[in-house]
Amino acid sequence: MNHQPKKLHIPVEHTTLANGLRVVASPDRSAPVVTVGVYYQIGFRLEPRGRSGFAHLFEHMMFQGSENAGKMEHIRLINSSGGLLNGTTNYDITNYFEAVPSNALERVLWLEADRMRALKVDDENLRNQRDVVKEEVRVNVMNHPYGGFPWLDLPPVAFRNWPNAHNFYGDFADLDAATLADVRSFFHTYYSPNNAVLLMLGDLDPAEAFSLAKRFFEDIPPGPQPPRADVSEPPQTEERRGEVPEKFGTLPAIAIGYTAPPRESEDWFAANMLERVLHGGRAGRIYRQLVLEKQIAVDTDGSFDAFDTNGPTQMVTRIFHRPEYTADATIAAFDEVIREIHEKGIAAEELDPVKVKFRSDYYSMLEGGMGSYMPRFGLMHYLACFTLFDGDPHRVNTILDGFQAVTPAQVRAVAQKYLVPRNRAVVVRRPVAKGAAR
Amino acid sequence: MTTASTSPASSHHHAMPPALGAERPVAWPSRTVRSLANGLQVVLAEAHTFPKISAQLFFRSGNAAVAHTTPGLAEMTAAVVRTGTASRPSRRIEEDLRRMGADLGSHAGADTTAISASGLAEFSEGILELIADLARRASFPVDEFERERRQKIEGLRVERTTPGFLAGERFRHVLFGGHPYAIVAPTEEQVAAYRREQLEDFYHHYYSPANALLVIVGDFSSGPMLAQIEKIFGAWEAPEPHALPTPVPPHYSGRRVHLVHLPESVQTQVMLGNLAITRRDPDWYRIVLANSIYGGAFHSRLVINIREQKGYTYSPRSGVNPLRHHGYFNVHAAVRNEVVAATLTEIFYEMDRIRSLPVSDEELSSARNYLSGVFSLGVATQDGLLGQLSTVYLDRLPEDYLETYREKIHALTADDVLAAARRHFDSANAQIVLVGDRAQIADQAALFGPVTNYDAAGNLM
Repeated sequence: MNHQPKKLHIPVEHTTLANGLRVVASPDRSAPVVTVGVYYQIGFRLEPRGRSGFAHLFEHMMFQGSENAGKMEHIRLINSSGGLLNGTTNYDITNYFEAVPSNALERVLWLEADRMRALKVDDENLRNQRDVVKEEVRVNVMNHPYGGFPWLDLPPVAFRNWPNAHNFYGDFADLDAATLADVRSFFHTYYSPNNAVLLMLGDLDPAEAFSLAKRFFEDIPPGPQPPRADVSEPPQTEERRGEVPEKFGTLPAIAIGYTAPPRESEDWFAANMLERVLHGGRAGRIYRQLVLEKQIAVDTDGSFDAFDTNGPTQMVTRIFHRPEYTADATIAAFDEVIREIHEKGIAAEELDPVKVKFRSDYYSMLEGGMGSYMPRFGLMHYLACFTLFDGDPHRVNTILDGFQAVTPAQVRAVAQKYLVPRNRAVVVRRPVAKGAAR
Repeated sequence: MTTASTSPASSHHHAMPPALGAERPVAWPSRTVRSLANGLQVVLAEAHTFPKISAQLFFRSGNAAVAHTTPGLAEMTAAVVRTGTASRPSRRIEEDLRRMGADLGSHAGADTTAISASGLAEFSEGILELIADLARRASFPVDEFERERRQKIEGLRVERTTPGFLAGERFRHVLFGGHPYAIVAPTEEQVAAYRREQLEDFYHHYYSPANALLVIVGDFSSGPMLAQIEKIFGAWEAPEPHALPTPVPPHYSGRRVHLVHLPESVQTQVMLGNLAITRRDPDWYRIVLANSIYGGAFHSRLVINIREQKGYTYSPRSGVNPLRHHGYFNVHAAVRNEVVAATLTEIFYEMDRIRSLPVSDEELSSARNYLSGVFSLGVATQDGLLGQLSTVYLDRLPEDYLETYREKIHALTADDVLAAARRHFDSANAQIVLVGDRAQIADQAALFGPVTNYDAAGNLM
């Protein structure tokens, strides 16, 4: 059999409009669908103080009506074109995206341009979406086992600078305090064309797509460049610990987060490989040792928002362990995995397959990346991040080289430098209602 | 009312949305369908954009086949299948997967068991060999079985604290009664009582080529791929399992409320509905369209009403759920405790409205476009296409089901929607499940019918 890896090349073209809007197109005519996204370089990290949760609430407001498309019109026009739409709020970006049959491309661009130009919302919309967001927080966090674990638990323990350390979903009092004036001000500060990128992927011709982008977006006036906030963290000198009561779940759980190297630094590439050595499914060292061999844990997983963050972030391990083991015993078993890498490093025989799997996962992410219901969501997402954070969408075709070049020695060095107690935060979720549900 | 108009001066720009052009046809990928001499049915579809393949080996037997004796045994069997074969211990399997850039899953639902693997196309042979190894030579190591069993029990304990799971579990119990579809998960005691021999029996009985369907989508050429499949799966011989008789689910008259008590809930999970139809029913397209207008899409009546107008809930939806022998219709929403009665009132209002009055031409054409377009999106990725092809061949739908889906949707009328809603959205006899804190919602629950109370383990209270 032929084991020659095929090198994937994604066609990418980009331009910048006169108002500063960056535009990226990636054609693929194999299916009659297009995916369109607008990414603004603002996330929950930089929402105003006293307004926790505002970036996300604002994202909801972007579906409440714009100058020429009133409430429900965005949703109606996309759904009735045969498409799906959504938006998400992240640390450093907020995105709005649609997948539609390709005959609806112009319509999607018209809608996105209309709300980039002028939002048109009122107090009733704000009250309504505040209620909806509270139900979102209840269903995902307050009324769900392990809700918010650990993405809401770790930041306040791990970080000291408010942008990195506050409640990103929002305290209800802060959500209640949000006003239309806040909506207006946030829009004017961050939602200008020069703080965004437009992505168009799939069944299209890039030249035509660019001329459509020009037609719909270029007359939107640019805004002042948003202030560059200081999101840096003071140096950490010792391990940080926190505890959060688990109201529903029956298993004790632990999250361990190590603050990661800066984006696209040499250490960052090695840290990505290290993360896969540790996590990476059942072959990952943590799952293998804690779940399969020592059987202290019932489940473990890991995450690292490496590509789509542009500020302090963590490599995180989650461990759901058997109640007969203490948190300390579980952490000690975890530390044993880390110590082994510190002391012995890893062999090329372990790293090479990790690289193969990384490449495979990267392709899967590009193709789908959000379930399989939205084609090329991942490609859109990565193109946006490479454009906004690194100024180069073509990174999508070259970034794998950086991972393939990582050596075992670099992985060990990164482990020794970053996987140390003074660089980590630990949060324990302890079930409160023991036996209540049994 | 205060209005935040963020840029007042530009209203002359493009005030109307552009019209839609004609939908482009879907270019169907080259598709090959074969049956091997041992009965294994094979479906191949080429998709070359990304250098990956996605393969699923299905067996047409799942938890329903053993629900009367050992609920959940099919799922436990599938879980242990991936933990060892005659030639590969568990660790080797996991390392082989990583070497091929592959992910593996082995799971059982009510009607099917599936071993799924996707990975880099350059390793397609190794990936298929691994699937065959698991399907033919699983060794059921004792220690792996005991570990999987313990993990399953801990997992069930957590699931039974999850409102969405509890609502679905109770709803299926109520709807299906003595039918195997009533059981979505075993009890802890049932899992504790599994014996290793029972797993092996299930495996030897149901994991057979004549009971199987292999679907592969991805970056390959069908000719050589077919030869490879013949080589890897051709010598597999096992008898075909016998078909089981299926009991009839219960019939209800009148709304009833089934309240599952979850202390200290700050929200109530609402789920209600009734038995409906399968994909093989002539009404299938009609019920799908009616559902998408009622509550199956973001721009549906129910979502506009209880989310965008009233703010009761974050993501309410209705759905039509086809299992092999029966289907059901349901509505679900997680709402704050004060508005349980208000939410149920609106759910039934919208249900009665779509049962009573024809939908407008505009709603009809919007919904037809929606279903047609979303269908195109759904076949534009390897996994999406694999899912659609699997449905066709597992449910034994007409060969041209995918190719004709869009035109059949576009041919539907307002009368079709009305007829389907009247027949299948059984407002008067809906079974209502509420999962929440009984002290906070019991009074509201009682407004909608006789109430039966349960704890999270399913015991009557």
